[in-house]
Amino acid sequence: MEKKEQKRHQHKHSGPKADKKNRKKEQGTEPERDERKRNPRAFSVQSAVRMAKTFHRTQDIKTKKHHIPLVDRTPLEPPPVVVVVMGPPKVGKSTLIRCLIKNYTRQKLSDICGPVTIVSGKKRRLTFIECNNDINSMIDLAKVADLVLMLIDASFGFEMETFEFLNICQVHGFPRVMGVLTHLDTFKNNKTLSKTKKRLKHRFWTEVYQGAKLFYLSGMVYGEYQTQEVKNLGRFISVMKFRPLVWRTSHPYVVADRMEDLTDPEDIRLNPKCDRTVSLYGYLRGTFLKNKCQVHIPGVGDFSVADVSFLPDPCPLPEVIKKRALNVKERLLYAPMAGVGGLVYDKDAVYIDMPSGHGSQQQEVRPTTELVQSLIGTQATLDAKMAASKVSLFTGTAALTPEEVQENEMAPVPEHPEMTSKIDNENTFGFLLKHLFDVLCINRALRWKEDLAQKATEAYLRHQLAAPNLRKLVYGTVAEKEEDDSNDEEELGGLFKVNRPEKSKKVRADAMDCSRFQPDNSHDWDQEEVRSSIRDCFVTGKWEEDKDAATLLKEDEELYGDFEDLETGQVHKAKTGNKDQAEEEAPQVKLDDDEVQKNKRLEKKRRLKERFDAQYDDGDATYFDDLKEEMQKQAELNRQEFEDVDDEIRVQYEGFRPGMYVRVEIPALPCEFVTNFDPHYPIILGGLGPSEGNVGYLQMRLKKHRWHNRILKTRDPLILSLGWRRFQTIPLYYIEDHNGRHRLLKYTPEHMHCGATIWGPITPQGTGFLAVQTVGGIKASFRIAATGVVLDLDKSVTIVKKLKLIGYPYKIFKNTSFIQGMFNTVLEVAKFEGASIRTVSGIKGQIKKALRTPPGAFRATFEDRLLMSDIVFLRSWYPASVPQLYNPVTSLLMPVGQKETWAGMRTLGQLKHDLGIRNKPNQDSLYKPVVRQVRHFNPLHIPKELQKALPFKNKPKQMQAKGKTPRDLQRPAVVREPHEKKVAALLDALSSVYAYKNKKARAEQHAKHKEFLKQKEKQEAERQKRMKEERKKTYRAMGQKEKKKLKSSLKGASKDN
Amino acid sequence: MEFEGCNCFRQRLVLSTLSGKRVKIRNIRSKDDNPGLRDFEASFIRLLDKVTNGTRIEINQTGTVLFYQPGLLYGGSVEHECNVQRSIGYYLEALLMLAPFMKTPLRAVLKGVTNDPTDPSVDLLKVTAIPLMKKFGIDGDGLEIKVLKRGMAPAGGGEVLFTCPVRRSMKPVHLTEPGKIKRIRGTAFSVRVSPQMANRIVDSARSILNKFIPDIYIYTDHMKGASSGKSPGFGLTLVAETVNGTFLGAEVVSTPQGQGDPVLPEDLGRNCAKLLLEEVYRGGCVDSTNQSLSLLYMTLGQQDVSKTLLGPLSPYTVEFLRHIRDFFQIMFKIEQQKPGEDEQKGGEKVLMTCVGAGYSNINKTIK
Repeated sequence: MEKKEQKRHQHKHSGPKADKKNRKKEQGTEPERDERKRNPRAFSVQSAVRMAKTFHRTQDIKTKKHHIPLVDRTPLEPPPVVVVVMGPPKVGKSTLIRCLIKNYTRQKLSDICGPVTIVSGKKRRLTFIECNNDINSMIDLAKVADLVLMLIDASFGFEMETFEFLNICQVHGFPRVMGVLTHLDTFKNNKTLSKTKKRLKHRFWTEVYQGAKLFYLSGMVYGEYQTQEVKNLGRFISVMKFRPLVWRTSHPYVVADRMEDLTDPEDIRLNPKCDRTVSLYGYLRGTFLKNKCQVHIPGVGDFSVADVSFLPDPCPLPEVIKKRALNVKERLLYAPMAGVGGLVYDKDAVYIDMPSGHGSQQQEVRPTTELVQSLIGTQATLDAKMAASKVSLFTGTAALTPEEVQENEMAPVPEHPEMTSKIDNENTFGFLLKHLFDVLCINRALRWKEDLAQKATEAYLRHQLAAPNLRKLVYGTVAEKEEDDSNDEEELGGLFKVNRPEKSKKVRADAMDCSRFQPDNSHDWDQEEVRSSIRDCFVTGKWEEDKDAATLLKEDEELYGDFEDLETGQVHKAKTGNKDQAEEEAPQVKLDDDEVQKNKRLEKKRRLKERFDAQYDDGDATYFDDLKEEMQKQAELNRQEFEDVDDEIRVQYEGFRPGMYVRVEIPALPCEFVTNFDPHYPIILGGLGPSEGNVGYLQMRLKKHRWHNRILKTRDPLILSLGWRRFQTIPLYYIEDHNGRHRLLKYTPEHMHCGATIWGPITPQGTGFLAVQTVGGIKASFRIAATGVVLDLDKSVTIVKKLKLIGYPYKIFKNTSFIQGMFNTVLEVAKFEGASIRTVSGIKGQIKKALRTPPGAFRATFEDRLLMSDIVFLRSWYPASVPQLYNPVTSLLMPVGQKETWAGMRTLGQLKHDLGIRNKPNQDSLYKPVVRQVRHFNPLHIPKELQKALPFKNKPKQMQAKGKTPRDLQRPAVVREPHEKKVAALLDALSSVYAYKNKKARAEQHAKHKEFLKQKEKQEAERQKRMKEERKKTYRAMGQKEKKKLKSSLKGASKDN
Repeated sequence: MEFEGCNCFRQRLVLSTLSGKRVKIRNIRSKDDNPGLRDFEASFIRLLDKVTNGTRIEINQTGTVLFYQPGLLYGGSVEHECNVQRSIGYYLEALLMLAPFMKTPLRAVLKGVTNDPTDPSVDLLKVTAIPLMKKFGIDGDGLEIKVLKRGMAPAGGGEVLFTCPVRRSMKPVHLTEPGKIKRIRGTAFSVRVSPQMANRIVDSARSILNKFIPDIYIYTDHMKGASSGKSPGFGLTLVAETVNGTFLGAEVVSTPQGQGDPVLPEDLGRNCAKLLLEEVYRGGCVDSTNQSLSLLYMTLGQQDVSKTLLGPLSPYTVEFLRHIRDFFQIMFKIEQQKPGEDEQKGGEKVLMTCVGAGYSNINKTIK
């Protein structure tokens, strides 16, 4: 093959370009000068207006970036991040999870079943959940996902589920979404591969946001994705940051990773369909969970929690933060539903996995299984164990059995707690122990030897004398004690019981409800010492060291001590005499006080700095900064307040905090939940806020989704996903008129928002929702029918429907008519008295009064006279009622394998279709040939009187047809003789000649006259000109004469003077 | 939730309305000679019915069992004829708790007894509760208690206007430093008696308070004609303001006509001043009548830590704390602060700390 020799580039050696290059080469060593300095013209202000505009724009952009600052409520030890792997079937979801788990923990998991929790790093844990191809699961998981790995089959492209899932996410707060393209190895051609990648990427970007991360998993090696690619993906996941979402930060939730049926087996044997008590385990997320709160389990329903307790973390983060990566022991894996962590769930049994092979593996699993193992290992029942157990309070003391404890409880309470010496009775001793327990628990280091009784009594007395433990007083069971006292009932003759109002309890129960706090009269404010006890509460009293005006002044003096008054030249010295004196007095103390002095100096410095900061830094601190700082402070306080409190007590104050592994016991669950349990479907416990468990009317703004191909009909059942819930309800659509009226719509508008009112669970305003028509089955079309947001909650409905009442006149006076057919009774009319009515032809009127007969007829006046053929109608608004259907979607209760077949109430259309009912059309609505009768108009009749008054020409007589001329008046036609004809022709000719001549003469005359007029005009103009000149002359002469006269008169006057 | 007896009747109904939990109260004065609900309680229920929408109330024949299913707080313009057995303060205290959580701003006109010896009077709530509410972020011009007519105890005839804006959520507060009292203000009122009474009250009250602080001003308020109600009486309301904006109040009202011995205005003034000193002795950032109000607002705040320093807890507050735990599952951390050896700032204080329930006003409409 011959290759053409290419011409080499010729460098220029002369000319402007070469010069420039040379110069550059010379200056190359010099530092580059600032662009602004080198070319100031380019940066000068060209237009002030433009400058202002750009400035405004930059400011706008800056402020738009601000979010409303929120208090940072992320827990110190956050719960595992929920990673939902989503995608259409056969796209490689399980494979990806397996690969990621292997990447993080070096373990293989054969079956991905339920959530899998792993420790991915020093500070992060992950929970992987696979989302199956069911819209119920998609909706539930979108609500709890922190990160969504969206798998897309590149060989096929996007599928409808992907778009549906993205739209679900958008409604319920957008989690982080990362796309993953798989099946890239099916492309043989490199060009089509890159083109497909680009196309999919751009489509993904339009859906999520520009520049959203999209991963490419190029091919499979031995049934797994390439290690390097998975590693990269894992790295991305473990450094990802998450934004808090409003719904999740205000509601606690648990993604259950373990379920246990606690129902008594005997009950199940007796009634296999009895309600079950179930305990669910999982990490608490979101916010604090209160004990005994209400939860919603999507797919099951609302339940109140019987008990919540926290357990040791089965998958804890490494205890000590190390510099290096995790070691093998710390890479934990916890997936009880998948059989890792000791348990394997089967349909009717639980298998306990006892790993026997690897010693090291057993060690790993150890902490996770400990609890379960101990549970399994128990042989006796709890009661038996309790009975057998002995409480030994302190080492070395005799153990107490439950019988003893009970005995002690029953022992009489001594009236006076003065028993310093007589503590040999064992009963009393036990009683004391009981009371002292909480005091002493804290103080375990206490020496506990021979003088134990002595010390105990002392402590007890101290305890009694001092104010009682307020916490116990308020929340404890102090109040119940008195009840037992008034139990002695007397019997009268063995028949009747004397029913006495029980003093202590009943009086308290029916006590006066008054918030005023009556003071005890122990203080006599007339006495001086009593008065002085509040002396410092007033500004006139003593101030604290750091707030006292005198000290503050002194400090200021120290800070700004010496200064010279420039005007007078006087030098002010800080007063040090005081200090010197103090030093002289206590020289030894001073040495010890060195530390104190140092602290003082530091304190002073800090205050000075603060003052400086306040003076100079606050200048550009905006409202936003202040707000942010305030939030920061609050967050700090939230974190610190209960930090050092024991967890057992802390959960009572705060509730269970997110990040804890909790066990939630729920009673009265339907038995199908247990019998049809399928770990592939997520179980979520969504906590409900106060009053969110109630049902009411919700007003919402709704828009039909633009990809949904049909508009929605009022009163057709719709499945809504709102808050945690999925439920079927019957919405009524409405639109707000200009006067605030909510007018019912039959259908949703095509491309516009409209209102919707439903009967449903109370959910805070601003919560987004989405609607689907069915959750069962798989459809080719886009299933999300509508999206929207909750606007208002109420217990009544405001929607009205237009109602036209129609009536017909049956008697017409001038402007008054009697109308019938609109109402049925007099009472109905009475309700509408004064209402405005209208005819079809547009004549307005008003209802006046009901007529006695026929019933429902009334008198009405109009602005014009009606015709008998007119139709009168009354426009009114009738309140529409919203059907109270709230039907939670119970998809989790369906049998295994049929969980996506839940079908609720059918729409009317579906019912008709299914039952084969066809509508009979209304006969009036059918088209028929139009038959129009010819109208006859009566002749106009004008009364005689009126006729007389009419002007002559309008008199109807004039307009009457003339009628036939009588015979005698009819004239005969004239027929000319031939001679006569000739004469007439001649006369005609002569007259035309004459006329012509006349015409000619007249034209001539006209021309002459025109000439004459012209002449005359000319003469006239001449004359005028002449006259004007003459007049001018005369006026000039007159003027001069006048002037002369004036002059002379002036002169004469001056002379006179 | 089920309760027994008519004790803490208002607390239960108010908390039920706020939490949306239904309440059943049994055995209301069941052993009493006059069993069942009293007129003032019935009037209170009617008031609740007026400010809410969709409330269901069932009372049995004898009035000893009440079932209350709360609706949504609606607000708006409400006019209520309060029963004269209790003063308007009884009703107003509950409204203060509910008002910020309404759908529309509340404008309530309450008619009845403005001052009586049992309940905190309207004047006291005006000077102590309103500044307290401002600290929780309920401010603006809408917040006001106004005494249009004064009506003294047995017959009443007073009229009070209460307006309050609505808020979406409460701000967390940190009221740990009550500060020192800088001024004392007060109102001495007299209706249908000699206007001189008020002046006599002022003099006697000042004689005690002047020993502590010179900045005292007590207004005299003598209402005449239509705005003076139906019964004679007089009284004094005192409030001490600290440098940190804490208001501590005390009040004394003359005994109602025909009920017990009449009191001299001098004695009344002195008693009231002593009561104020007692209140100062108790101390804290919230005075004893408003303890429960502040605790409720703290509970209904966002999920942040709030702190308030209170004086000794009143029995009413203790009951309220228990009810808050029952309705909202919120427990307060209660720390006692013993007064120091050398400082003379009254008695023992209690620092109440809690994490808010994350409550947001579900009634307010968004547009």
